[in-house]
Amino acid sequence: MRFEFTPEESEFKSQLSSFLDDALPADWHGPADESRDDHWELNQEIKKGLAERGWLVMSWPKEYGGADSSPMMNTIFAEEMAYRRAPGHDRFGTRMLGPTLMRFGTEEQRTKYLGSIARGEIQWCQGYSEPNSGSDLASLQTRAVEDGDDFVVTGAKIWTSLAHRADMMFMLVRTDPEAAPHRGISLILVDMKSPGVEVQPIVNMAGVHSFNQVVFDQVRVPKANLIGQLNDGWRAGMTVLNFERSGIDYAAWARAALEEIIEHVQSEDAVTSTKSDPAIRIKLAELHMEVEAARLMCFDVAWRQGKGEIPSSEASMSKVAATEVYLKVLDYGLELLGMYGVLEPGSKQALLQGRIFKMRLFYTSGPILAGTNEIQKNIIAQRGLGLPRK
Amino acid sequence: MDFGLTETQELIRVSAREFLEDRATTTTVRAVADGDTEAISSLWNEIIELGWQAMTISEEHGGAGLAFSDLAILLEELGASLAPTPIVESSISSWVIERYGSDPIKSELLPQIASGGVLITPAFVERDASWQTESTKVAATRSGSDLVVTGEKRFVAFADQATHALTLVRTDDDAPTLIVIPIWKAEGVALTPLDHASGVPVSSLTFNELAVPEGNIVATGHEAVRAAEELVAAGGVARAAQLAGLGRAVVDATVEYTSTREQFGKPVGTFQAVQHHLADMAIAAKQVNHLVHAAAWSFSRDGYSKVAAAQAKIAASDKIANLCWTAHQCHGAIGFTWEHDLHLYTRRALAWKTDYGDSAFHKSRLASAIGL
Repeated sequence: MRFEFTPEESEFKSQLSSFLDDALPADWHGPADESRDDHWELNQEIKKGLAERGWLVMSWPKEYGGADSSPMMNTIFAEEMAYRRAPGHDRFGTRMLGPTLMRFGTEEQRTKYLGSIARGEIQWCQGYSEPNSGSDLASLQTRAVEDGDDFVVTGAKIWTSLAHRADMMFMLVRTDPEAAPHRGISLILVDMKSPGVEVQPIVNMAGVHSFNQVVFDQVRVPKANLIGQLNDGWRAGMTVLNFERSGIDYAAWARAALEEIIEHVQSEDAVTSTKSDPAIRIKLAELHMEVEAARLMCFDVAWRQGKGEIPSSEASMSKVAATEVYLKVLDYGLELLGMYGVLEPGSKQALLQGRIFKMRLFYTSGPILAGTNEIQKNIIAQRGLGLPRK
Repeated sequence: MDFGLTETQELIRVSAREFLEDRATTTTVRAVADGDTEAISSLWNEIIELGWQAMTISEEHGGAGLAFSDLAILLEELGASLAPTPIVESSISSWVIERYGSDPIKSELLPQIASGGVLITPAFVERDASWQTESTKVAATRSGSDLVVTGEKRFVAFADQATHALTLVRTDDDAPTLIVIPIWKAEGVALTPLDHASGVPVSSLTFNELAVPEGNIVATGHEAVRAAEELVAAGGVARAAQLAGLGRAVVDATVEYTSTREQFGKPVGTFQAVQHHLADMAIAAKQVNHLVHAAAWSFSRDGYSKVAAAQAKIAASDKIANLCWTAHQCHGAIGFTWEHDLHLYTRRALAWKTDYGDSAFHKSRLASAIGL
């Protein structure tokens, strides 16, 4: 039992923090999520900076240019990046595709792609969800038909973050329509500049263009881009999701937002202040506890991973807890801002630059993406608690 | 960070679980709730043999010298079994005496607590049921080398079993003073047993011009305030540890019940509505567990984290009580009966929720600790 970082971990955290002091503009308040591209250049710059310092892929094994850092260290990295609302850590390449290639890719594929991810050169996006396949991902319909040395891909992917910026996509396609849903799927890599790929922007409810629909019309993809065995893509694809399903970003964003709100209610600008209403102290303290509770869930996942476990249920718990607490913090922030809370960013007289409102709208996606919280609760109940499926 | 248990802690968990499964069944819990004090004494005597009351007392004073986090692991098991036994009362009293008492009082009292000769329980709150040190009104007037104590302390757990009460009083010069008062069959001490939802004996204690030697003073003035704060913080974390164990036990029982109870031709635990209740319960129990470990660990260091201690008691009070109510919903009508054991857990959770500062009290403390 030890609830503090080791000296080595603390040292790394402080180095990363100093790097971000320099890399982020003064008075930086986000946006936090790299999938938003309002600050694309900054995203690229930080990605390069992280790559130069060996931090971008530090979680990878040494043979692929990583530092073989512990899951604990990786979580400290993710927490600090999110707490500072820094873009640039490239989760699609570094956290999802990279580890999947190491496990399922051929030697040739690893040589071809891992280096460019490690150097922060290539932007990847993830083609999983489809217009008719969300939580029931295995029902996906985008077809890849074998034709000589190629697959010919036809169909549509949706909610694809950064597709409009990406060079490449890793995607799940149906290669055997006759087989059971999970057994006829393959994982392939597609060049986004291929003829027949059309990226259609989708603006989300926060007014931000972060994701897209991507339509594939007879797109030719070399068979050399198949990851793992044909029709065995579900296994590889789910590995990616295990890397995706951590709550630490949300727990750290929640902490950052809570601190910002606490600072605000104690300031002269505040319309509802701790001076005017002592009940605010009580509610903020409750949220402070909730944020720490979610944070510890995430570090527990890291600790378990460090022991070689695959903490599936715990990861789901951390995702649910952290996405929920982040929205609770933002909801209470809005309540405290009162009528000012609904002023759009950029509006005259907006408090906290309208950030709380915008973040609340944007992070409505938290409990939905990467497996809805309802799906996570099924995982917790069935895999974690052992409740019967039928 | 390391979320794992040490070898010692694993050993504590396994041996405690084994003993309690055998000796602290819900039959015992019900008997004690019905007023069977013999059942409390016989369980306590066996626990003294095991040495649990001496766990965190230093080796110098006859204890095992283990950490507060080790105690927390034991308390989780005690909470899971609802064992009606005064380990929290005894342990946090000795904890505070060891940290704030003078050498003479430590050498006098701690070995006796460690051997089981002395059973000590905190007598803190008064009529206003407040855990604030400032609320103390019970008066202690100097008379020669004695303090003469008059007034009433309320909600004293195991007062009719205890030999001593660790009591917060206010002296003539308005200084808060923490003092050990012998109460076992003492003249000038009256007991009013309350009918308390915890199902363990809880009483009000009235002192009527009771002379206590000044050598029994543990701390006075500013030190007494610090000692009293640590008593409430440690008591809160200790109760939170019990609540964590209780929550785990209720989750386990609800999984078991919903996996076997069939309706519409299948276990009710296959229904998503029920599964989601259980997922929420499991998340709550896990969060309380982590916060308790973090807080208990902080007591194993110099000083303790006021932030972590408050977080643990807030989470345990609110989340475990809610978890119990959800468990009733998942159990349906059977969980609404007197015969079913579930309400024993719910009663205990509701009682522990109010002990050593409720959620609102600790939220206020936490707010102060984070600069609000």
